Amino acid sequence: MFETSLTWNDVLFLLQGAGTTLTITFWAVLGGTILGMLFGLARATAPWWLNAPIGFVLDILRSVPLLIQFVLANSFKSILKLNVTAFTVGCVVLALYTAAYCAEIVRGGILAVPPTTRRAARSLGMTYTQDLTNIVFPIALRVALPSWIGLTLGVMKDTALVLWIGIVELLRSSQILVTRLQEPLFILSIAGLIYFLMSFPIARLGARLEKRWREND
Amino acid sequence: MKLRTTAAALLLGMIAAMPAKADKLDDIIASGVLRCAVVLDFPPMGSRDEKNQPVGFDVDTCNDLAKALGVKAEIVETPFPDRIPALVSDRADVGVASTSDTLERAKTVGFSIPYFAFKMVILTREETGINTYENLKGKKTGSTSGTFEAIALEKDVKAWGGGSFRPYQTQADVFLALSQGQIDATVVTNTVAHAVVKSGKYKGFVVKGDAPYVTDYVSLIGLRQEQGLLNYLNLFVNQQVRTGRYKELFEKWVGGEAPDLTVKGVYY
Amino acid sequence: MLNYTFHWRPALNALPDMLGGALVSLQIAVLSMVIGVVFAVFLALGRQSNNKLFYGFSTGWVELARNTPALFQVYMTYFGLGSFGIQLDSYVALLAGIAFNNAGYLAETFRGGLRAIPHTQTRAARSLGMSAPQAFRLIVLPQMFRIVFYPMTNQMVWALLMTSLGVTVGLNTDLTGVTQDLNVRTFRTFEYFAIAAIIYYLLAKFITLSSRLFAWRLFRY
Repeated sequence: MFETSLTWNDVLFLLQGAGTTLTITFWAVLGGTILGMLFGLARATAPWWLNAPIGFVLDILRSVPLLIQFVLANSFKSILKLNVTAFTVGCVVLALYTAAYCAEIVRGGILAVPPTTRRAARSLGMTYTQDLTNIVFPIALRVALPSWIGLTLGVMKDTALVLWIGIVELLRSSQILVTRLQEPLFILSIAGLIYFLMSFPIARLGARLEKRWREND
Repeated sequence: MKLRTTAAALLLGMIAAMPAKADKLDDIIASGVLRCAVVLDFPPMGSRDEKNQPVGFDVDTCNDLAKALGVKAEIVETPFPDRIPALVSDRADVGVASTSDTLERAKTVGFSIPYFAFKMVILTREETGINTYENLKGKKTGSTSGTFEAIALEKDVKAWGGGSFRPYQTQADVFLALSQGQIDATVVTNTVAHAVVKSGKYKGFVVKGDAPYVTDYVSLIGLRQEQGLLNYLNLFVNQQVRTGRYKELFEKWVGGEAPDLTVKGVYY
Repeated sequence: MLNYTFHWRPALNALPDMLGGALVSLQIAVLSMVIGVVFAVFLALGRQSNNKLFYGFSTGWVELARNTPALFQVYMTYFGLGSFGIQLDSYVALLAGIAFNNAGYLAETFRGGLRAIPHTQTRAARSLGMSAPQAFRLIVLPQMFRIVFYPMTNQMVWALLMTSLGVTVGLNTDLTGVTQDLNVRTFRTFEYFAIAAIIYYLLAKFITLSSRLFAWRLFRY
């Protein structure tokens, strides 16, 4: 039979890492979605002089490797002498990164609503805000939600990079165990399995939603 | 104190001048916690026990320092290349992390007097036929990115031409690469080499001869401008040796004759 | 005031080395994309195949690539395969890891693209006397590439960003590797990584623009 010196304790250690992964994902997606909705709305509706700079900054966030962004933010923080933890830095960087993608999703969703529909809403006497909340958002949500789920899963996988700034998440905890136990393949496979179990069910859910909603169109 | 600094920093933002601050030594004493950057894949200096808790010479040294300061010790794990960034980014107060005192680094961080000294040896697998440093010529080698031995080895590999050098981000990855045959030999500190061979975790690892480098003196590190803290660290190292605690810790983690921490013929 | 003085002069001196690294990064990204596209076509076919083995293999690949971190995949191709005694060079391991990831993501894109092409096209091609592979190669594939070109461009940019992961498996010739080498020697983290960020941004723009030009040349009627 297969022999391993991996103890129950070590599995708990890995699960703790997985917990950190999920916590960071949660904050990053929460912050990123709120910011992304604001930016996306601005990208879809704001005049060019506001739209262009926002678009430019978000484009930078999408064009520089996350690894580099983490290291840069972390060292910039130290230069400013901000007294925040690496955990916070990780969450903020990841949230901005999420926002950059989320903005494009939101923008795409809003632009997918036909202008005629919106004009019809306005001519029925709805205010601009009513039009946004009652007409645009519900329709845009259908377009955007599947991509948003995909984004969330992407962010969860990208959290692995925070190990670079000294946070012990799932991948780092597996490396720590590899160091001690010297069973790289086995332990890394367990870590991979945990990632898979966290990601796969949600990915399937997203795929089903997308299919179901498309049929209704 | 911390809260106030954070609030002030947030308020004043990026460009504003920060209020005058008590120095690091004051901060540590006031906060009641000493955060030490320690490398934990570098036995016997730092490693993890079976409960995944940090142990080792550096961990004990950190605990001693915290005790002397009258505060609680907190171990911040940093891979080798991350030691100084951790310090500069204020994730740790001091580095107790076998940091070689190079002049290049002294431009960015401040060093205490040496608290430990290493000799470098060649670590290889039995079947590679490597016996001396000269045998490394043309072989696949590797070491931990940015360390004293990595810089020296890479320089020699480049001078020889042929062969290769791979920098890894952690000491653990170097051993993993050596055991899997990604590299044929590495140059490491004598203590680590013997600890790794003794642990028996890696089959076929053998120590073969010394690397012809000068003694690698390692120091505690703090921020360059924190003279108050650095003074304290100097005295602390001096006291560790004077009281025999250095010998005691060396006996506990390494064994044998503790290396001399002074250089003949010159003042520090 | 800030307690940090920027040392830009020595950092800028390293620019030639870093640009050399950028070339290596770009090279890995392009190669991983070429390999990824080839595998992705087969995986996309496998996902629609009735052959259980082919279908299972393709599905396994795609789901694994899409549901685990790229960093994990790269680490696995180096140290995971290493424990089977398969020793890949850092460069090859990184290339293989990214190509694996690319293939997984592109396969799903291609599958969507294939679905968008009406079956009648294949039938028409077959009735004109083409063999099945001919019909696929000459009729279906060119149309599919037109549909999936934009997502492919995105994947190409991602491939470039993923090359930064090579530093975790001992690669020191790509842009991140060179930057990290400079960083650990001097500990001037911000300066070097800021320069690296700008180079990555320019590379990403270069890829987007050149692929647009390429599309314009290739797909105009």
